[in-house]
Amino acid sequence: MLEAIGLTKRYGANTALDQLDLRIEPGDIYCLLGANGAGKTTTINLFLNFIDPSEGRALINGMDVTRSPLRTKQEVAYIPEQVNLYPTLSGLENLRYFSALALGRELPRDRLLGLMEEVGLDPAVADRRVGGYSKGMRQKVWIAVALAKQARALLLDEPTSGLDPHAANEFSNLLTRASANGVAILTTTHDLFHARHTGTRIGIMKQGKLVENLESQAISDLELQTMYLRHMGGAA
Amino acid sequence: MILLIARRDLLERWRDGRLLWAGGMILVLLLTALAIGYEHRQQARAEQRAAQSADYADWLKQGRRHPHDAAHQGMHAFKPEAALALIDPGINPYIGSTVWLQAHRQSEVMFRPAQDATSLQRFGELSAGWILQVLGPLLVIVLGFNAFAGEREQGILRQAVSLGIPTRAMLWGKAIALGTSLLALLAPAALLACAATVLAADAGTRLDTLLRFGLLALGYALYLGIFVFLTLGVSAAASTSRVAITVLLALWIGNAVIAPRVMAELARRTYPTPTRLAFNHALDADLKATSDRLWMANFGTTERWGRDVPLDKWGKALQLDDHASYKVFDRHFGGLWDTWERQQALQEWSGVLLPMLAVRALSMDAAGTDFGHHRNFTDAAERHRRLIQDIVSEDLVKHADPLGGQHFAYQSGPELWKRIPAFNYHPPAAAWALQRSWRSLLALCAALGVAFAFAWRAASRQRAY
Repeated sequence: MLEAIGLTKRYGANTALDQLDLRIEPGDIYCLLGANGAGKTTTINLFLNFIDPSEGRALINGMDVTRSPLRTKQEVAYIPEQVNLYPTLSGLENLRYFSALALGRELPRDRLLGLMEEVGLDPAVADRRVGGYSKGMRQKVWIAVALAKQARALLLDEPTSGLDPHAANEFSNLLTRASANGVAILTTTHDLFHARHTGTRIGIMKQGKLVENLESQAISDLELQTMYLRHMGGAA
Repeated sequence: MILLIARRDLLERWRDGRLLWAGGMILVLLLTALAIGYEHRQQARAEQRAAQSADYADWLKQGRRHPHDAAHQGMHAFKPEAALALIDPGINPYIGSTVWLQAHRQSEVMFRPAQDATSLQRFGELSAGWILQVLGPLLVIVLGFNAFAGEREQGILRQAVSLGIPTRAMLWGKAIALGTSLLALLAPAALLACAATVLAADAGTRLDTLLRFGLLALGYALYLGIFVFLTLGVSAAASTSRVAITVLLALWIGNAVIAPRVMAELARRTYPTPTRLAFNHALDADLKATSDRLWMANFGTTERWGRDVPLDKWGKALQLDDHASYKVFDRHFGGLWDTWERQQALQEWSGVLLPMLAVRALSMDAAGTDFGHHRNFTDAAERHRRLIQDIVSEDLVKHADPLGGQHFAYQSGPELWKRIPAFNYHPPAAAWALQRSWRSLLALCAALGVAFAFAWRAASRQRAY
C-alpha cells in the first residue's frame, strides 16, 4: 500500500533521506523511530508530496505521488503532530468542512456526531469553537476527519507527542482498530513503548538512513531500547 | 468543493469581524458620499437650469441696440451636471461649468467649484468613485491578505492540501468568497446609487443613464476583481501574512498615491503642452496673421476698422474676420485638447499595470465627467457662439447697403434676438462614452488577466509549508 523505492531527499550537500526502501502492507502499523533530523518527517512529507524527492519514488497504492499528487492524497489520511483547525469554527463545523473537502460531499450532523463519539470527543463540545479546545481535542477532530475519509493508509507524524497517557492510549487503540480494518499505517514517534506495543513493524532511522527494520513481536522492550540507544549514541 | 471553500472563508470573515468592521466603514462612507453627491448634483442642476433660463431671458429682453453690441454681450452656456456626477464628479470641480459666448473670441470655461473650495476640500472630494478607486482595493487587501499565508502559518493549509484538494480549487473558492464579500457590502450601495442616478437623470435620458451606470459598474467590478486576484496571488506567494500585507500595502500606495502623480508627469513630459501665456501668445499671433491676410485680400489694407474700409463694409468685414478666426481657434484649441487626450490615453494604457489610472478614466467617461465630455460641451458652446456671430453679422451685412454710412446708428430688436435659439445642450449618448472607453476597458481586462495569471501561478506553485 505504501512503498518507498530508493527514496532520497537532499538539501544542497545535506542528505535528509538516503535511499529508503520500505513497503507497508494493508494492516501494518509501521513505526519509524529516530532522533530529530533523522529523516522521519521528511519521509512523511515525501509520501504526501509536500516536497519532491531528489531520487527514487514514493508509491501509494501503486501510484507515484509525484505523478498523481491528488489521487494519492485521496488514498491517505495525514495526522500531524500539531493539529490546527479554524478557531472561529466549532469542532463540528471543522469536521463537516474538512470531511466534505475529503469526500466531496457533506455528511449529515448525526454521522458527524457519531464520528466525534468514535474518537472519544464528547458531543457536548461539538458546537463549541475550537479556539477553546485542548491539543488532544483538536487532534481527535482531525482523526475524525481521517475516519470520515475512510482512507486506505494513514501517515502520522509524531501523533502522540504532547498527549496525556490516557489520550495516547486511546489513540493507540484507534490505530489498532484501523489496522484491523486493513488500513496501512506509517507513524513516526519518539515513544519506544508506543512503537513496540502498537506497531507491527519498527524502523530505526539515523542520519537519513533506515538502519533497522524489525518485527515488533520479535523483539522485547528492553532489546528495542538497547538497540535504539546504541544507534542514537552513535549519532551523538 | 470550490463553493464549500468559499462558504467557509465567508463564514470565518464574518465571525472574525473583518467583514463587519472594515466593510461596514466603507459602506457608511459610500452611503455618505452618495447622499452628498445626490444633494450637490440636484442643487447644481437646478442652478444650471435657472441660470441658463435667466441668461436667455436677458438676451431676449435687451431691447433695441446695435447687433454687434448684442454679440459682445453674448450669452452664457451652462454645462449641465451629469446625473452620474453624483458618483464620480471627475474633472468638473477643476475645469469649470460656464462658457461666455462672446464676440470674436472663443472663451475658456469659467467658475470652477474648486476655486471656491476650502483647502480641506481641495485635498480630495469624498465621492463614491474616489472611495471605490482608493479605498476599495484597501478593503480587498484587508479582507484577503491572509487567505493563503495565514492558513499556511497556522498549519491549516498543510492539512487541507493533505486531503487532496487542488490548490487551484482553493484559489477559486477564496476568490469567490472575497468577491461575494465585496458584493454583499457594495450591492446595497450600488442599488441605491443606481436608483439615485436614475431619479436624478432628466426625463428621456434615464435609459441612457442606466446604460452608463452599467458601464461604470462593469469598470469597478473589473477593478476590484484585479485586486481580488492580486491579493490572493500575493498571499499565496508570500511566506507569512506580515510579508503579504506589507507587499500589498506597498502595491496599494504605488497604485493609489504614486502612480497618478508619476504618470501625469510622465504624460506631460511625453506630450508637452504650452503654458497658458505661450498658448495665448501663439493664438493671438495666428489670429492677427490670418486677419491681416484676410483684410489685405479683401480690403487692400491690414489696418482694421480704419478709414480705408467704408462703414457699409464693416458688417461684411466682421463676418469675414469671424469666419477666418474659426479655423484658427479650431487649430489651436483642437491641438491643445488633442495633446491632453494623448496624455490621457497614455495614462489609460498604463492602467494595465496601474489599474487605478484605467478605472479612473473609465469611471469619469461613464459618468460623463471626463475631458472628452467636457470637450463635447465646449464644442457645442463654441458652435452656439458662432451661430450668434453668424446671425448677427448676417443682419449687419443685410442692412449695410441701405444704411450706407450709418453703420453705428443701426439697431436691431427682439425679432433678431429671437432668431437665436437658447443654448440647449444634450450630452452624448452612452454608446459614445462606451466607444471612448475601449482603451480603459481593454487595460482593465488585461490587468485582470495579468492578476489572474499571477494568482493562478502562485497558487499552483505554493507548497503546504
